[in-house]
Amino acid sequence: MIRDFVYLSPKMLKEALTLLSEHQDECKVIAGGQSLLVLMRQGLVSPEYLIDIKGVSELAYIKGDAKRGLRIGALTTHRTIEKSPAMKKGFSVLAEMERRVASIQTRNWGTIGGNICHGEPAGDPAPVLIALNATLSTASLEGKRDMAVQDFSVDYFETALKPDELLTEIQVPAVPPHTGTAYAKFNVIESDIATVGVAVSITLESGDGLCKDARIVLGACAPIPMRAKQAEEALRGKEITDKVLRKAGQVASEEAEPIADMVASEEYRRELVKVLVARVGKEALARARQA
Amino acid sequence: MSKYSVIGQRVRRVDGLEKVTGSAKYTFDMVLPNMLYGKILRSPYPHAKILNIDTSKAEKLVGVKAVVTGKDTPGRKQGIWRRFPELCDEEILCREKVRYIGDPVAAVAAIDEDTAEEALDLIEVEYELLPAVFDPLEAIKEEAPQIHDGVELNINVTRHIEWGDVDEAFRKCDYVREDKFRCSSQAHVCMETHDAVASFDYGGKLTVWTSTQSSYYIQRLLADILDLREGDIRVIKPPTGGAFGSKFELDSAQFCATVLSMKLCRPVKIVLNREEEFTATKRRTPMYYYVKLGAKKDGTLLAKEVRVITEGGAYTSMGATALYLTGFFSSFPYKYPNYRYDGYRVYTNTAPTSAMRGFGVPQAVFVGESQLDMLAHELGIDPIEIRRKNGMTPNHEVPGQAYIQSCGLHQCLDAIEEHIKKRGKLPPNHAIGIAAYGFMSGGIFNWFNTPYAFSAALVRISIDGKVDLFTGACDIGQGSDTTLSMICAEELGVRLDDIRIYSGDTGICPADLGAWGSRETLMNGNAVKMAAADAKRQILEFAAAKMGANIVYDLDIKDRWIHLVDRPERGLSYYDIVKEVIRGRDGEVIIGRGHYTPHRKGMISPAYSFGVQAAEVEVDPETGRYRLLNVTTAHESGTVINPVGIEGQLEGAIMMAGGYGFCEDQPMDEGKILNPSLADYKLIRSLDMPESEILGIDTYEPEGPFGAKEAGEGLTNPTAAAIGNAVYKAVGVRINDLPITPEKVFRALREKEQQGK
Amino acid sequence: MKKELRLVVNGQPYELYIDPKTLLVEVLRDHLGMTGTKRGCNSSSCGACTVILNGMAVKSCSILALQAHGGEVLTVEGLASGPELHPLQEAFLDHGAFQCGFCTPGMLMSAKALLDENPKPARQQIKEGIDGNICRCTGYNSIIRAVTAVVNGEYGVKK
Repeated sequence: MIRDFVYLSPKMLKEALTLLSEHQDECKVIAGGQSLLVLMRQGLVSPEYLIDIKGVSELAYIKGDAKRGLRIGALTTHRTIEKSPAMKKGFSVLAEMERRVASIQTRNWGTIGGNICHGEPAGDPAPVLIALNATLSTASLEGKRDMAVQDFSVDYFETALKPDELLTEIQVPAVPPHTGTAYAKFNVIESDIATVGVAVSITLESGDGLCKDARIVLGACAPIPMRAKQAEEALRGKEITDKVLRKAGQVASEEAEPIADMVASEEYRRELVKVLVARVGKEALARARQA
Repeated sequence: MSKYSVIGQRVRRVDGLEKVTGSAKYTFDMVLPNMLYGKILRSPYPHAKILNIDTSKAEKLVGVKAVVTGKDTPGRKQGIWRRFPELCDEEILCREKVRYIGDPVAAVAAIDEDTAEEALDLIEVEYELLPAVFDPLEAIKEEAPQIHDGVELNINVTRHIEWGDVDEAFRKCDYVREDKFRCSSQAHVCMETHDAVASFDYGGKLTVWTSTQSSYYIQRLLADILDLREGDIRVIKPPTGGAFGSKFELDSAQFCATVLSMKLCRPVKIVLNREEEFTATKRRTPMYYYVKLGAKKDGTLLAKEVRVITEGGAYTSMGATALYLTGFFSSFPYKYPNYRYDGYRVYTNTAPTSAMRGFGVPQAVFVGESQLDMLAHELGIDPIEIRRKNGMTPNHEVPGQAYIQSCGLHQCLDAIEEHIKKRGKLPPNHAIGIAAYGFMSGGIFNWFNTPYAFSAALVRISIDGKVDLFTGACDIGQGSDTTLSMICAEELGVRLDDIRIYSGDTGICPADLGAWGSRETLMNGNAVKMAAADAKRQILEFAAAKMGANIVYDLDIKDRWIHLVDRPERGLSYYDIVKEVIRGRDGEVIIGRGHYTPHRKGMISPAYSFGVQAAEVEVDPETGRYRLLNVTTAHESGTVINPVGIEGQLEGAIMMAGGYGFCEDQPMDEGKILNPSLADYKLIRSLDMPESEILGIDTYEPEGPFGAKEAGEGLTNPTAAAIGNAVYKAVGVRINDLPITPEKVFRALREKEQQGK
Repeated sequence: MKKELRLVVNGQPYELYIDPKTLLVEVLRDHLGMTGTKRGCNSSSCGACTVILNGMAVKSCSILALQAHGGEVLTVEGLASGPELHPLQEAFLDHGAFQCGFCTPGMLMSAKALLDENPKPARQQIKEGIDGNICRCTGYNSIIRAVTAVVNGEYGVKK
């Protein structure tokens, strides 16, 4: 059951930051609440103050395009991203990823910012954003901070967000030429969270050339979304063939630090990483060639 | 043209409007004046003595009106196998000992749920931990802790079934194989959790509204455990949000709400939350199966020997029946000349295992149909062919056990064979597996020890010709209200519109054993038909006199038209005659009575339905993941009364039984269920659901109303086996331990690959 | 401290004073007595509580009522116009798209939200549209058939 709290609902960012600065560790911020309310209903989280920022409409927006890059307000819902025309060119992987997040109902109300701040290791958005080399901004009364999305996750359900800070925006840089990005997750039930999630971004020298850059990000394989850097090395500078992709998969499976739980063993998760990296890599490659 | 006017039609459910408009009031929705809300405190330990329960702090919490423990009850043990007092081993509110994580120890009634929940935290229970045992194979050992006093080796129930001479027969076989299987548990996952509103009044009368499969059972069991007169208890079943076998025993919501209400003389409502639903209600019986199968090289099955050890959990509940049925139906649907079954139900310190749709038979069929395919493969015989060779036929006697009248198994085999042929050649890693099954239409053995007819119904016709049908049968979603109304309308010769059904209320409906074992259509259907026929006879008596037709003519009623059968144009309106009948009997309304109890129909069931199912899967050999693409079922259930109902039962069964084979499981650690939430318990949703096809097979069962028999549970029997057989056909690996998860398939493939090297 | 909640539900404006921790589903069921919307879990998994808020299908058990302040909610009770049923309700009745009926209100609302957004969804989109709703009775295929029948215009056109 949910314990009583003092409810505060700022409508402007400045107001929200002031309240946060005032209450810090005594409060929790709720956006869509699709993750937080589950915890509060089960009595696992019981803040004294609840700051509801869902009404801070200035943080819900999608600006930009494939050429300039995207700026996504933290309170943009998953569903908005999923259906946004801005995703069509170059960022389709974001829409594809969002389409697989939970259920439509959850996506209609839950926000991408809330998802990132929740820090679920099996979360879908973080690996994709990292593969896209995304950055994000946080704000407090003191000012603004920028960092790579990759640096935002610190540990299981823990981010670099300070108690007086709010995540305000996610920036996805313009897609470099000859770049393709893809994402897939493995699960048994279609709408389940990822047993293992893999996002791969490949940039080629030219339309048909060698791999200039690769980013391989694993979800649900470590306390935080993890870059499989050694696997990336196995692709960089090479002509990407099926064999090379399989090798990258093998390396990634060894690099990963998956846990065993009632859903899958560690060994099986590693196996899934191996298979998915190769498959998602192949898809990313095809997109890079078409780009 | 159909010879029937009502049955066989595609109709809207009689309870449909209230359900699609959200106006149906489930127990979950009930609010009564002066009502309190209850919560139950449960044991966090799998096995412990209760040394002391201190409820004083909880009682002082503002808003709390009562706190009860086992000491506030007469201290009786109850159980649904009432005929055998030694199997009535569950107190519900534990007094001396707790035997599983979730066993109730106290209950609170308060002004709202939050307060009741807070009060639970204030109840102090002193436990003395006892060693616990979780696996039946461990619990059956000498050194295992004893869970119930006087029960040696924790062996709760044993069952033995035998005919012929199995040992001799094995010697004559060309081929014998022995296999081990493990069948998992499964949660019912009713969308409406267990709940009850109990209201004990100052006059000493108890009324309980509850989500149940059998209001009569709950009435009787409450009377037993609380030492009340059965007639002083009224149990009413509102629209019920699913049951699937979990709701015909007395449960903690019903019992605790009642005890609290009796203390306060106020209504008390208890709704189990989803976690309690997973951990503290009954579940499908997990089983260890050891099977030996012997055949001649031409595929003739000569002998089968089955040994089963089931994980009983903490109490008997309906587990004794599951033990029996799994053993009996392990011989289905084939004519084994020699058969032997030995089953042991073993207590463990886990949540009690009981009845879940299929009742031990999905387990039996998973094992039997998997093993049969393995045998067929070794002998080089086609899976359909071997089933044809040995399959049951109409009028077959299972020696000393059962007599099977109608049986459409062979037509089902033909239909599925045709279906497979039509699918043609499938790509690699993509295959169809089949499984055949037979299931009962209600059980014969009176383990409940009822003195009443197993089913009964009453029909009342008033001056406007409207028919009130009173039956104890419980519609839990499966559509019995509609099906029984259709039977009534057909027999009486009126329209479905003319029937108004009152069901599942012990205060006004004659007793019925409830909706389990797929019994309502056949058993209550027979009772309803008899009641309708009784009323019809009274009407026709009068009509015959009025029409004064020659004695050679018969009268009947069809579509509200009372007529001479041979001269249908000569007749009178049903509505007009009803008025006159009532006038002619001094104003007394027309009452028709009916009942049914199977007599001299063997030991198991008065009728059996059969079928064959084909599951088509596509396996991803790199990960072991597979998709269920299509499940096609040829099912024969005698005359089809309610076609929309049967289709619904079939497709729903695929979801449930498919889940049993594919993804549903309750992993445990030291008796603690690890996934007691719908986020972690995996089940099939719309994106995972395969295409489904039904091939209707025409049969007629003389024992059933208009020739009908079951079509509810049998359908859950084959899917796990069909999936297993399909996976084997697709990628050559066999998983003998449910569920067949992608990881298991992957490991088996890897092992196969390594063995090949 | 209770807060003011103004909400339009099924076209009717309401003004309530509620504890901030009150969930939208609790306002609907307990405060307004509209028990059509159900609850089936505690993990935002089952979808039985689905309603339409500001035109979107949402799980009402996972939204604080105050977040819906000033908004418009449509529940199953608002589907029919008096005795005239919504085409989806008619289709559900004809296709046996429900059995125990407990998931049905949520299922209808998901289906309505789907069709409001896209009147001609493909089969796969219909499946996605109801994937957030668990049904233990029907096996979903009859629900898909019912929605498809509405999409195909078999039940006239209605908003």
